[in-house]
Amino acid sequence: MDLNDEDLIRRIVDDGDQRAYAQLVRRYQSQLRFSLRQLCGGDQGLADDMAQEAFIKAYKALPAFRGDARFSTWLYRIAYNLVMSHKRKKAPDVDQEAVDRARAEESVEEAQQLGMARDLDSAMKELSEAQRQAVHLCMQRGFSHEEAASIMKLPLGTVKSHVNRARAKLQTLLQAWREEVVSG
Amino acid sequence: MASFDQYRDRRDNRVNALSDTAFEGRDPDFDAWLGQQLQFSEPYLDNDGFCERVMEQLPAPSRRSERRAVRFQYGAVVAASTIVAWQFPFDRVWMEALQQSISLYSLVGIGVLSSLAAMTGGILAARR
Repeated sequence: MDLNDEDLIRRIVDDGDQRAYAQLVRRYQSQLRFSLRQLCGGDQGLADDMAQEAFIKAYKALPAFRGDARFSTWLYRIAYNLVMSHKRKKAPDVDQEAVDRARAEESVEEAQQLGMARDLDSAMKELSEAQRQAVHLCMQRGFSHEEAASIMKLPLGTVKSHVNRARAKLQTLLQAWREEVVSG
Repeated sequence: MASFDQYRDRRDNRVNALSDTAFEGRDPDFDAWLGQQLQFSEPYLDNDGFCERVMEQLPAPSRRSERRAVRFQYGAVVAASTIVAWQFPFDRVWMEALQQSISLYSLVGIGVLSSLAAMTGGILAARR
């Protein structure tokens, strides 16, 4: 039986049930690792290390989790803080070899993917990093503007502005695809 | 090449020139479509030992929560034993024992031993 996040957290905090935490890790690992890969500029190894650290940090801090926000928002906030502080400390140290290797592997798959996905990827690269993150959190992950603002540690108005500007940019860049879909 | 750059600059200028008011003119259909496309293009990342690596590095659960779990198990066993004792027909067994002239001390001894065995079994089963 799949318990919801709140029940699992209660079991972890009250009974020290680590199997409940394993369920939470399995539930969010793919989404978080994928998000962090984007945030780490495609460095998969670094993204996975950061995701692992975020899950461990979240476990240790779980007794202090008050449930004001959803667990996923809280977890993303921890992960984003970790990545940002890592970036501040080691700004020039992106493992370029790993990035190139990952891109080469991806390009094989990419060739088989629809053109839409490729163009969407290119359009996303045209956005600023903050706009990309805001779109990713709000439109891909389904976080509200308020939740995205708390994750990114930005004022709500700034996040809304990032999302709106990114949306307008994407609308222009992907107009051709959109028209194709609408015209059937 | 230069013409493409010019085209891109013109396009970017057009996008950047849009005012916030224009941005607020949201197109819900576009939002839904974009959300779908973003989710569609996202692969599911296999666990591939990730969860196990996280679990290996977690600190052991606190002694407090362990003690709490043990207390809960003992409580459950005592409650179960009370229900069994409440339902057990002691008077009939007592009468039968008198009729069979079984010594009182051996009867009490057997009772105590079997209760201990049942409780130990219950605790072991609950802990497992």
